[in-house]
Amino acid sequence: MCLRSSSYTSPKPCKHLADYKLRHAFDGYDSLQNCLKTTPIGRTRVDNHNTKIPRCNFCNGYLGRLYICLMCSSISCSTHILLHTQSKSGHDVAIDIERSELYCCLCCDQVYDPDFDKVVVSEQIKGSCPGRSNKRRRLDSGMELDLKKSKRLIAMRDGRAKSCYPLGLRGLNNLGNTCFMNSVLQALLHAPPLRNYFLSDHHNRDECKRRYGEKLCLLCEIGALVSAMFSGDRSPYSPAQFLYSWWQHSSNLASYEEQDAHEFFISVLDGIHEKESKVRNSSKDDGDCQCIAHRAFSGSLRSDVTCTICGFTSTTYDPCVDVSLNLDTVNLSAAEKTGLSTLSGCLNLFTRAERLGSDSKLHCQNCQELRDTSKQLSISRLPLVLCLHIKRFEHSLIRKTSRKIDQYLQFPFALDMTPYLSSSIVRSRFGNRIFAFECENSDSSAEYEIFAVIAHSGMLESGHYVTYLHVNNQWYKCDDAWICEVDEGIVRASQCYMLFYVQKLLYYKANKDLSCNASVESR
Amino acid sequence: MKHSVNRPPTPDGAEDQGNEPTLQEIINIKLIESGEKERLMELLRERLIECGWKDEMKALCRSYVKKKGRNNVTVDDLVHLITPKGRASVPDFVKAELLQRIRSFLMSAAL
Repeated sequence: MCLRSSSYTSPKPCKHLADYKLRHAFDGYDSLQNCLKTTPIGRTRVDNHNTKIPRCNFCNGYLGRLYICLMCSSISCSTHILLHTQSKSGHDVAIDIERSELYCCLCCDQVYDPDFDKVVVSEQIKGSCPGRSNKRRRLDSGMELDLKKSKRLIAMRDGRAKSCYPLGLRGLNNLGNTCFMNSVLQALLHAPPLRNYFLSDHHNRDECKRRYGEKLCLLCEIGALVSAMFSGDRSPYSPAQFLYSWWQHSSNLASYEEQDAHEFFISVLDGIHEKESKVRNSSKDDGDCQCIAHRAFSGSLRSDVTCTICGFTSTTYDPCVDVSLNLDTVNLSAAEKTGLSTLSGCLNLFTRAERLGSDSKLHCQNCQELRDTSKQLSISRLPLVLCLHIKRFEHSLIRKTSRKIDQYLQFPFALDMTPYLSSSIVRSRFGNRIFAFECENSDSSAEYEIFAVIAHSGMLESGHYVTYLHVNNQWYKCDDAWICEVDEGIVRASQCYMLFYVQKLLYYKANKDLSCNASVESR
Repeated sequence: MKHSVNRPPTPDGAEDQGNEPTLQEIINIKLIESGEKERLMELLRERLIECGWKDEMKALCRSYVKKKGRNNVTVDDLVHLITPKGRASVPDFVKAELLQRIRSFLMSAAL
């Protein structure tokens, strides 16, 4: 068990608990170890191995909260626990039998002790058999951002440009139902890691042509696009060459029909990765891949499948470049009177433990039988750039229909992903005990700032995508060839389809370099 | 933290109802012994989370703690606060489902 993580603040013990610890140290806790019983889903209770059910010494009651005294193991109910401590001096601390939580009888309140929680958690882990493979994946943030070079580029600005527009804003012409492409490109080209990569000429087009001689390279095309966007020329640009390149790569999607922006996004990242892995001749798995697409967007999802009978959990990790969320329409809590769907609601839904139906039993290694299972997702490693995809398009294979969900979704501009991390999710499974989680990744921050929103309007077949970009404290709407400043209220009210967040530290650093006026900085 | 000590009622020693367990107790013991109580509790917890009841109770607790201040609230306070509201706001369909489960358990256990 590792040391407590500093980011987790634990409450101080009360005077009585502190006294108890001084006098008895871990004696009470150690004797408890044999009496703890964990249910498969993670609740731990105190089980004295008595055949009888626990009853209060004073009133013989068995309902409600029952406490077992740490000193003499006598059981009292919540009404009579005070009597016990009054009748026996020094018997101040007890344990809630149902929940395995410490209770101070004199303070009449729950108290917390990391040492106690350590005992409980080790029993919980012992109870569900060992055998989970926790590979500690570290986010490799070894990105060489050659900012000096990009600074030079910015200095040479075209005088034609509207001087107060930040660099990089340029409209993209619609080449025939290509708003899905334009919207994603706007977001991608303004993602700080990607933008910097191409602006710093990390993929040199001449060298690429010389070395590999291929006529069509997706990376070269993106590079050309970035140069065009940041050239200072404000007249709308036609990404025809890029479109052609992409058609070569994803020939199944090559048509003038309206496509799904998310599908396009995935295929572009895939194209970048393919080219890069061809170049480097490497076949590393996505988690360690160093191509710019993965360095920027790759994260890792953890999936825990728990047997509901024995508690054995099997954990798998899958790399991901984005997170697709279902709208939390069904489970709006009654407390939210306005019936508002929020991003945190969707993320909560995504990381909620889900009981898989009895018709999809899985084989439990421990029980050696098919069992009902519970599955829970969490994010074990956050990417530099977090892309959240809201699943608004429902395709029913049974009914052979598709429909769009127009439900408004409220989303924040600043996002803290801590509650959805594996460390938080697993910790709460143990009842929010105070202990450090092995995979706790303190190198990367969990705080994000939004920089792009792709919004969809209209119907499934005939809709339109626009992108809202946040540059230098100002929101801009990029509607194909037209770019204009908009108020943040417009952005908040839009029907978001894809949200792009970047790690806060990167965001402020990146914005600093792009400011037109040297003095602009504060928020 | 000043706290007027609640004086619980002096236990009535004569309240020993003999050694006859009531029907309720018998049922409870049977539920626990067979492990059915644990399963029912899990089911109940699941349903209460799904329908938003848990979130509602959490929100109540949060607003109370905000009002009183974090260091002036005990677990006992919170329990007394949400118990009546909690009991009253359990949705009917949850009650119905659990009653059904208990009924079928009793029928199978009565044999």
